[in-house]
Amino acid sequence: MGAKRKEQIENVLFTLPAVILVSATIYIPFILSGYYSLTKWNGISRDPEFIGFQNFKTIFTDTSSNFLNSILFTTRYTVVFIIFANIFALALAVALTQKFKLANLMRGVFFVPYIMSMTIVGFIWKFIFSQGFAKLFEMTGWQWLNLSWLGDPKQAFYSVAFVGIWQSVGFYIVLYIAGLQAIPKDILEAATVDGASGFRRFFSVTFPLLWPSITTCVFMSLTNSLKVFDIILALTQGGPGKATASVTLEIYREAFQNNNYGLGSAESIVYFVFVLVLTQVVLKAFNKRDVGL
Amino acid sequence: MTRASKKRLYLVILEIVIVIVGLVYIYPVFLMFMNSVKPFREVVMDVIALPSKIEWKNYSYVMDKMNYWSLFLNNVIITVIGIAGIVLFSSLSAYIIERRPNKYTNFIHTLIITPMLIPFQTIMITLLKVMNVLHLSGSIWGLGIQYWGFGIPMATFIYCNFLHTIPKELDESAKIDGASTLRTFFSVIFPLLKNVTITVIVLDVMWIWNDFLLPLLMVNSSAKTKTLVLSAYTFVGQFNTQWQYAMASMVLAIVPSIIVFVLLQKYIIEGVVAGAVKG
Amino acid sequence: MKKINVLLLVCIFAAMLVSAVSAADIYMFIPSPEYADAINALIEEYKTVAPDVNINYETTQSDYPTLLKAKINAGSTPDIFGSTSGKEIAVYLDYSYNFADQPAAEAMTDAVKGVMMSGDEVHGFAIKGNYFGMLYNKDIFEEVGITEFPKTLEGLKEAAEKISAAGYQVFSDGFGEWWVFKHAWQTFFDAASDDPAALADAFIKGEAHWADYPVLYNNWFDFVDLVVKYGDAKPLESFLANEVADFAVGKSAIVVGQGAWVEADMLAINPDLHLGFVGYPVDDDPDHARVIGGSDQALRINKDSAVLQDVLDFVNWWYTSDYGKDWFNNVAGVIPPVKGAVSPDMEVIKQGDALAESDGVAALSITYFTDASHQAFGEIMQSYIAGTIDKDTACKQIEETWVKLEN
Repeated sequence: MGAKRKEQIENVLFTLPAVILVSATIYIPFILSGYYSLTKWNGISRDPEFIGFQNFKTIFTDTSSNFLNSILFTTRYTVVFIIFANIFALALAVALTQKFKLANLMRGVFFVPYIMSMTIVGFIWKFIFSQGFAKLFEMTGWQWLNLSWLGDPKQAFYSVAFVGIWQSVGFYIVLYIAGLQAIPKDILEAATVDGASGFRRFFSVTFPLLWPSITTCVFMSLTNSLKVFDIILALTQGGPGKATASVTLEIYREAFQNNNYGLGSAESIVYFVFVLVLTQVVLKAFNKRDVGL
Repeated sequence: MTRASKKRLYLVILEIVIVIVGLVYIYPVFLMFMNSVKPFREVVMDVIALPSKIEWKNYSYVMDKMNYWSLFLNNVIITVIGIAGIVLFSSLSAYIIERRPNKYTNFIHTLIITPMLIPFQTIMITLLKVMNVLHLSGSIWGLGIQYWGFGIPMATFIYCNFLHTIPKELDESAKIDGASTLRTFFSVIFPLLKNVTITVIVLDVMWIWNDFLLPLLMVNSSAKTKTLVLSAYTFVGQFNTQWQYAMASMVLAIVPSIIVFVLLQKYIIEGVVAGAVKG
Repeated sequence: MKKINVLLLVCIFAAMLVSAVSAADIYMFIPSPEYADAINALIEEYKTVAPDVNINYETTQSDYPTLLKAKINAGSTPDIFGSTSGKEIAVYLDYSYNFADQPAAEAMTDAVKGVMMSGDEVHGFAIKGNYFGMLYNKDIFEEVGITEFPKTLEGLKEAAEKISAAGYQVFSDGFGEWWVFKHAWQTFFDAASDDPAALADAFIKGEAHWADYPVLYNNWFDFVDLVVKYGDAKPLESFLANEVADFAVGKSAIVVGQGAWVEADMLAINPDLHLGFVGYPVDDDPDHARVIGGSDQALRINKDSAVLQDVLDFVNWWYTSDYGKDWFNNVAGVIPPVKGAVSPDMEVIKQGDALAESDGVAALSITYFTDASHQAFGEIMQSYIAGTIDKDTACKQIEETWVKLEN
């Protein structure tokens, strides 16, 4: 009984700092911000006007709003991002854990884009898409290089997704490497002795053992792509037109540029609920025990 | 061919392929570096062309303007404080959550990692309000502490998933020896989490060192508390941007973190818990 | 946790001690980092005038409005802050000081002061005046035999054909940037009525319609079509940097949607460039092709500032002292927003001054709307150029945007 009680106290005590810190930096601001969703407020004036659930009504009835469209865009982006970012990252992580001299350096190479300033990523990629592709087109004559990759609403989606994946694959590589290194060598060696070929070994031995890493990375790529913001702001600002406007970009614009902080807050709450439900569904599909959100 | 030489050949081919892929991959980064040593005119005329002559003076200009070394120190302090708290609090709570699954810890788990779903932009205005009340805004110490809150969700999440791979028998035997929970954690579990901890440190160093929005919000109001990345943005204007300086300052800002990255990656070693993992 | 508290207390104490030493701390948080060097020089000079006053100057471009809102709401409103001029003067009225009775307001040029007013009150001042219009390459025009820049839209079409026939790209469009549209469009808006301010009001109230104003409904879209036809191969992939570069090296003959601010960059690329600067030809009336002057950015004074008098002293010194007046020309290299100061020796400014003198300037119509609707406007025009919407849909969406975002 005493031991049990002690354990309970420990449970609370050891997790308390994390809970307090997370609450102070994220939950309290989020809840405060949630209050404004019930007001008509431009983010500036001294007294927000309380209007009840009017903003929520607006979200679902205003046909000229781009909010629902942006959810569609973000969902498409998320699907493409999760699939390709994880496949590339896993493949590269497997390669980068082989024993060759430059392995450590190459890990760094793939990580650098993740920390580059978005303004500069945007500037450089804009040039690559316009001038760089134009030069390559002259050299090769390949028609796809002559498309307007940032200027056409259809292609802009792929450009944004491509640069988004390019920029963050390094992050997932690091996680996959950690997972791969945690797999005990003797198990792999045992499989080799059994005569399993490289591919067979990977899918029958490594892959299952890597499941916690895969879950981690899929979950993180899910949350990150649902929040996609910087890369779009830097590359297309949501354009041309509104072809690449993500939800977070829409919310940000509504709250800060259109001076509708109240409506923006309401949108972020609606979206939060959407994301919460979506992640639950995805996690259910992925063996709940491993993640347990 | 023997098995060993076949393997070596395979490794050499793989290395060549990876290096080529890496070179293509890093080409935009190379462009950033290359353009940082061009004059303005050559940057905006053709980002892709090689510089006609290398202008190292872009760097000395930027070093001077950025007040590099004092901001460097700020970055170090912020990052060290941030990392220390994130690693300590996250690993500890992940340990409790993972090892003592019950209603309470499940709830705590959800509570701690749900913030990963909240976009930072939606809490910016109210965050500054709260941090002003707590006196955590406007100082590099305060900023470091704020990173605890922002870093804990992801770090806890990663720790939780990797704690799976460490067998429970290890801490149970420590317990039988009479060690307290904290003692067990620090002397048995934490060392086993080395690879994960390094991974968390790598990811968080890179994030905190190069973060832009939070420092912009919290410590931008004085030249003394700025960070390197904030300073690099001074060259980015609305209708005129001094791209050569922006890129030079960005190179200077991120290089230290890349060095840390490569050094830390060395310490991620294979199979720390070899043989101790349940299949 | 206790240790942290102690640490915090120490920090706070230290901060208090530091702040007690100097007499006044002015916190100046404004956009436009491109003038950071010049403003630092200004502050340095002010130290010799008022050694007790410490000006804490910070600047950023990205996310400026967001940061400002966060600071205001957290109770740390800067002593000097920024917004756009015109319509947005009213938005921050709760926080900004009316300095109409100050020497600085007296010294301001009418073109700048006009967009800083709220009724009779003056609520903003500017780092610089500005000119908006078309920049063209005089050498190319000479080469194809056009002696004078056309003043009518028809004339512009003919000129475009000629220039194109000579093998040049006629326009650098910049249509990838949303703000290029507002800069170009405002001259058309000015031509739509004798009182553009009243027309803007009517649009905002939802009482006016694009279709009733041919210069908007026909000419503006004709102009955009013309630019697309004779402009960049991928019009929506043209951004500020390549727009400036293509024009500066003589690849294209005319730049759309820019103004005085691009000259320095262009000359840095090609010092031999012969720049011409004119107003947009918008219809068949040559009198409508006027340049636009004024300032679209405003600096504001916090009316609740603890050091209000020190702030006012600083601003008055900036706008009326000899150093301050010369600063615009000598240090910042911008059009002085104050009366009786010398303009810098730059082509756009010289030609702009001459045109303003001879033909007068058109109203800075972009200030009748906020950037929120300008950005939406730019996106609608991009959709039109991309072919996803037609002209009538575009007009309808623009009308809706103005009603929705400006009320």
